[in-house]
Order: sequence, then structure tokens, then C-alpha cells
Amino acid sequence: MQTRPVLRSSTTAKVVDRLMLGLLWTLALGFIAVLLLFVGAILKQGWPVLNLGFLTRMPETLEAGGGIKPQLFNSIYLVVLSLGLSLPVGLGAGIYMSEYAGRGRALRFFRLCIETLAATPSIVLALFGMILFVQTMGWSFSIRSGALTLALLNIPVITRVTELSLLAVPRDLKEASYGLGATKLQTILKVSLPYAATGILTGLVLTAGRAFGESAILVFTAGTNVSAQFPDFRWTVPGETLSVHLWYVTSDGTLPDAREIAAGTAAVMILALLILNLLVRFLDRAIRRRTR
Amino acid sequence: MNQPSDSILGDPLSIAVLPASTQVKPGPSDFRLSRLHRLADRWSHLLFLGCSLLVVALIAGILVFLSSKGLAAFLPLSGNTGRTLGFSEVFLSADWAPSNDHYGILPFIGGSLTVTGLALLLAAPTGILTGVFIAKLAPSWMRTLMRQVMDLLVGIPSVVYGIFGLTVMLPVISRTWLKDAPASGFAVSAMILAVMIVPTIVSLSTDAFESLPQNLDEGAQALGASRWQAIASVLIPAAGPRLITAAVLGLGRAIGEAMAVQMVIGNNPQWIALMRESTDRAPFLRALFTPAATLTTELVQELPNTPAGSTWNNVLFAMGLMLYLLTMLLILATRRLGRGAEA
Amino acid sequence: MLNPKTPETKPVKLSVKDMHFSYGEKKVLDGLSLDIHAERVTAIIGPSGCGKSTFLKCFNRIHEVASEVKVGGDMQIDGIDIYRGGIDVVDLRRRIGMVFQKPNPFPKSIYENVAYGPRLFGVKDRAALDELVEDALRKAALWDEVKDRLKESATGMSGGQQQRLCIARALAVSPEVLLMDEPCSALDPIATAKIEELIIELKEHLTIVIVTHNMQQAARVSDYTALFWLGRLVEMDLTERIFTTPRERMTEDYITGRFG
Repeated sequence: MQTRPVLRSSTTAKVVDRLMLGLLWTLALGFIAVLLLFVGAILKQGWPVLNLGFLTRMPETLEAGGGIKPQLFNSIYLVVLSLGLSLPVGLGAGIYMSEYAGRGRALRFFRLCIETLAATPSIVLALFGMILFVQTMGWSFSIRSGALTLALLNIPVITRVTELSLLAVPRDLKEASYGLGATKLQTILKVSLPYAATGILTGLVLTAGRAFGESAILVFTAGTNVSAQFPDFRWTVPGETLSVHLWYVTSDGTLPDAREIAAGTAAVMILALLILNLLVRFLDRAIRRRTR
Repeated sequence: MNQPSDSILGDPLSIAVLPASTQVKPGPSDFRLSRLHRLADRWSHLLFLGCSLLVVALIAGILVFLSSKGLAAFLPLSGNTGRTLGFSEVFLSADWAPSNDHYGILPFIGGSLTVTGLALLLAAPTGILTGVFIAKLAPSWMRTLMRQVMDLLVGIPSVVYGIFGLTVMLPVISRTWLKDAPASGFAVSAMILAVMIVPTIVSLSTDAFESLPQNLDEGAQALGASRWQAIASVLIPAAGPRLITAAVLGLGRAIGEAMAVQMVIGNNPQWIALMRESTDRAPFLRALFTPAATLTTELVQELPNTPAGSTWNNVLFAMGLMLYLLTMLLILATRRLGRGAEA
Repeated sequence: MLNPKTPETKPVKLSVKDMHFSYGEKKVLDGLSLDIHAERVTAIIGPSGCGKSTFLKCFNRIHEVASEVKVGGDMQIDGIDIYRGGIDVVDLRRRIGMVFQKPNPFPKSIYENVAYGPRLFGVKDRAALDELVEDALRKAALWDEVKDRLKESATGMSGGQQQRLCIARALAVSPEVLLMDEPCSALDPIATAKIEELIIELKEHLTIVIVTHNMQQAARVSDYTALFWLGRLVEMDLTERIFTTPRERMTEDYITGRFG
């Protein structure tokens, strides 16, 4: 054999290594900075506007000084309604996929459908809701059109979370239940679902957050107006939410204090998001404590 | 309802282990499942199946309803108030002037592709690198912190991103770099979109790197590779297909995003005119800060102003249908990629 | 037995004195001292969790990949402190190769796997690479099986072939020491036999340290055997003696299967 080539460790590699590690840290810290800047700017802009009056006054259409009381109410009302509509479907589909669909083609097909629905842009769901509920059913821009369309956004998330939480239930727990002669349904209802409940709840809170922030769907289904009464629980009235309001006041431009209203609304939404996030982390910790 | 489980749970093993024949006494009758339970068990799965089928029906329903409107522009249907269009004058024309009966949507397709491409150009490399950082390099406190940061970023509503762009980024950029000329256009939209899709890419690529066998980068380093060399030459290629999947799903989110982009992009495809007429040698940079429009922003902008059944309205729905078909295509593409990764 | 009864004593290649290792709060190795001779196979045995794998990973400092570890004491290769500041870790890892418990070929072609190391060290010339790859594959007794499919993916090979590929990959940068961390634990008996045969061939030019939980394997391939227990060295001696006339009671108990 001839002389072997010289193996030399390269100093460039070491320099590049240092540089790239530095870059990765910078990148990560950069994202933290972006988040802080973002939340900071929104809260700073909204802070002067935020007070109890802002949250509890009715909005104005042409003059300054309006509040966001009905929008806040509609946001929560629509989130609750849409969760109520999507929870049974999502739970049922999640249970089917984890417990009944097996591991074959059926499961793959259902998963494909769930993924597709999850990836469908909300503007597309909005168009669907507009054609079906607003026009074909003749429900016009209303709470019910909004809630039903919003449910489409929630269903895939709840299904996925239910399926994953149920798959995480220890097998011996289920087997113990079968061993006692429990039926499959009893096992699911009394053993698996309670075990998976915290996980599903976490998913629900996340879903609520998403629905709370959704705007494209609601612009085209729940409309950009609010009922003159408060509180108005009827599902036939239009139901502008906080996020739609935020968008509408900035793009419409009839309000003299549109900037302030938008800033205040954005701050309220960020605060709500932070609270939901804390809730999720609390639930998450509860899950981890139990599985440990 | 709870006798069968509760009464036996006290001593589960003794019952569970015994073969059926040795169960001495056939328990008292209240141990037996009621008829109701058995019926419920037999039929309940149909209920669950129904829920799953509802999802399938929704997928199909969206397609049918969107097609009914979107294809109406091209078919002589009874509800149409406008004229019937040919495919080429819609999809292959850049002439969008609905009031003059011109319906070329290329400006919006171009706008969507440009803004999505730019966003992906920003978000894919940074997201993948952040993913590898979280999975392989960050100390555990940093890992937890980054996950929380990404959770928050993904949770921020798109209108709030939009308002940030509108009230912070646009004025600042216009003041500092553009001599107070308006800044709306691709650049700011793409930056905002990038931040919106980065959490998706980060979390999927973190998963991709974490699911690689742990001793793969040890193997590279044992041969003398630096940490970065191990990442660049072994880990990233090994996670390749899943990283592409992450980018594709990010792309899907970006192309479908409407509100945030609508608030900062200017909503008028002026960039096309700029590119056509500009005498600059490099109009691209200026085009980035010139108003533009995308498929989604045009929908948000014009749908409320067009009467149902008009050609204009139908063309807008055709744009929505396009977005939906594109989503399906992207999902199928990720499936294909996933299968490639397993093989 | 394949190993000679009393091997001629070779110079000390690796020496360890009063070595400590802790992982976070947990002490893993505590006051270890032993010498490893050149061109000999040293087996390290002991119950799982006794720190034998950790010990191995200290030689090429690969544990630094993981995280917060503290190493104390003295580890030397050819009289040079492995943990001295300023030592070139990359060069250290070139001199001390490693084969892992589970075969970990890179998801690249067979050729690229073996060429990976030489490329890191700046070999770009195609002919030189070809030669290094062939040479390494021959030494790992894999050449004849793969010479017609060098471009195929390494992940399609059998487990035993993958492990021999990993050995070839380590040999391609001409190391002086080869660390093997239970290299056969994921393999079937036939593949195991091939690897053992290979180990005995390789020791002609290499110092080999092999961690194994399989005492028959230690007896078959090694010249020296060390028994670890709870992070301490119980006894180290010629393999022959360890398995026939151990000095320590604990060694005898372990060898005869009375604990562990």
C-alpha cells in the first residue's frame, strides 16, 4: 500500500463551529426578543386606553370614546358556542380513531381528512360558511352562522388532541378494565376518557384561544355589527367579536379614535392570550405530575 | 351502572387471572351487564364512526359548495348575472379590472407566491436551525423557554400581528428607510408571515431532530466532527424529508393567511405596474415596498362588495377554491414525503 | 481459547489514575486506576449501571456531547493528559475511535459513511479516498460483501453488516485505539462471531477496549479483563487469571453468576 494521505484536523472547522453555535444562540435569543418587542409594543400602545370603562361601554360608530363591551361578550359567547358544537364531534371522531379504526387504511384515511381540515385556510372555511349558512340557509351574518363555521376550525384540533390523549392511556389500565368484564364502551367512558381528560382539556383551552383570535371566518359569517341590546343571547343577531372589531376599525376608518380602540382591543386580546397560556401550562404541569 | 367495575376493582388480579371455567360461582345477577350496556356497547361505535364520517363529509362539502360558486364563473348557469368566462382569461391573464369585465387573477397568484416565498425564505432556515438548536444544543432551561416562546407566538391572533405591522413596523420602516414614503407591500407582509409560521416549522423540525437516533451525532463526533459539522453533514440530511414536510406545512399556513397580510400589504397590485414601467435597473427592492395583493387579501377586500351571482363574485370564489385545492395538494405532498422518510 | 495464555507484555497505551466522574449530582465513577496495554484487547465487564460505558466515553471525551459532567483525576494516552487544556479534541478523537452499542451508520451511502472521517480531516482527492475506503472496508472484513454496492444506502444493510461498517468507518482515520461499547449487544450470534473474529484480527495494530455484559465474550476475545462494580474497579488482570483464579471474592461471585 502507498503512503496514506495526511489526516490533519482543520482549524477552519473549529472556527465555523464557534460561529455557527453563536449564530444559533443569536437566532434563538432573536425570537425571544421578537416576542418581547411584540407583546411589549401592543401592551404599551393599549395601556392608556385600557380601563374598566373601555371594557364596559357600548361602542360608538361615528364618535370617539366607544367601548368594546358587546364585542367582548360576543367573543366569549361565540367561543363557548363553537366549542359546544365541535366538542361532541371532535370527541367522537377522536374516540373512533384511537379505539375503533384499527391501524390500517381506515385510520390513515381519517387522519388524512383531519389533517386536510386542519390545514384548510380559515378564509376558505369562511367562504364555505358564507355560502352554506349565510346564503343557502338564509341565516345572514349571525351568531349561529359564525358559531357553526367556527366549529369547523375547532373540530380537527379537538379530534387530534382526543386521539393522542387516548393513545397515551396505559394499556394495562385498559386491560385491567377489560379483565373485569367491562365492555369496550364502559372502558372508554370510565377508564380511558377520565385518564385522558386533562390532556383533552389542555387541547380545549388551546382551541378556545385559537377561536378567540380568529377573524377571517367571522368577518364573513358573524358580520361586523353588534346587536343594539346587551346582553343579546339570540343566535340570529350579528355578532362582531373583538378580533373582527380590531380589524374593522382599522380598515373602515369612520371612527376618529380608531387607533386607540384598535390598540386597546389588541392589548385585551394579548392579555387574554397570556392568561390562557398560563392556564395551559398549569394543566400541562398537572399532567406531568401525574405521569411521573 | 357502576357495580361491575366498582365492586370488582377492589381485587382486580384475582378475577382477571382466573380462566373463565374456574370462576366458581356465576356471580350474582347484578354482576351481569345489563341489556342496556350491551346494546350501548354494540351500537356506540356507530356514533363515533358517524363523527369521523362527518369530518369526511365536511371535506367533501367544502369542495362541493366552493365548486358550486367557483366553477359558476366558467359555466353558463341559471343564477349567473354576468357572462361566462374562459379559463385562460382568468388564470393566464394579468388584467384585473372587474368593472371593465377583465378578470385576470395572475396578479394575485403572483402576489401570493411572492409573499409566501419570501416568508418561507425567512422562516424555513431560521426555523430549522432553531429546531436543531432546541433539540440538540440548548441547555434544558433554554429548551423550555424556547418552547414557551413558540407557543405564545403561534397563539397570537392574526389581527394582532396585523395591527403590530400597521402601527409599528410600517411607520418605523417608512421613517427610517423610505423617507416617509408608505412601506406597505411584500417586505413587511413577508416578515410578519415569517414570524407567524416560524413556530410551526420550529416545532416540527424539533420533533424531526429529536426522533433521530441519539447516537447518530455521537457517531459523527467520535470521528472528530465538530458539533456544527455533525449537524450539517449528518443530522440535517438524516432529518431531510421531515424538514421539508415542516417547510411545506409552514408554506400552507402562509399562503392561506388572510387578515394579517391584508392589513399591511396595501391591497392593490401596484407592484406589477412598477415592474413593468420601471426604468430602474433593479426595481425589485422598490417592488418589495410597493402595495400588492394576494388571493386571500383580495377575497377579504372585495367579497363583501360584490353581489352574489355576479361574475366578479364567482371569480373570487374560484380563487377560494384554488386555495382549497392547493391545501389538499400540499397535504398529499407531505404524505408522500412521509412515506419517503419511512422507506 | 483464542488468546495466548500469557501475552507478552506490551507498553502502556492508556493510563488512568484516581479518576472521578460525576453527572450532575450523581457520582458515576469513583477513584479508578488502571493501565491499558497497546495492541491488546482489554475487556471491561460488570453489572449494568456500574459505569463501564461512561468510563469508555471518557477516553474520547464524547460524553461532552451530552451535558453537565465533571471529570477529575488523570487520564493519559501515550503519557499525554487527555483532559489537559489546549489538547486538540478533534485529533484525540481521530486517534481514539469508537464503536457504539447500536450500529449507527449515517443515512448515506456505504462509501460516504467510510469516507466521512477522512473528509473531515481534509482528504479531498478522489483516488486517495477510494483507497482509504477500500482499505478500511477490507480491514473490517466487509469489502467482499459490499464492493459492488458502495453507492447504496447503508441503512439497508443487516445489523451485523452495519456494525462492521461502523468499525470500518472508525478505522478509516487510522486510529490507535478502538473503543467498543457493547458492540454485539444488538446482534445475532452469527454476526457476533464475525465481530469477535474481527476484534482478534484488529488487535495486531490496535489497542482495543471493549465493554461487554457477556462474560463468554470477554473470555473469548480479551487479553485483559477488568471488573467494575458501582463505579469502582474490583479487579483487573490477565483474562486467563480472572476467569480461573481471581484474587477477589467478588470477582469469583460475578464470574460464576452469583450476583449481577
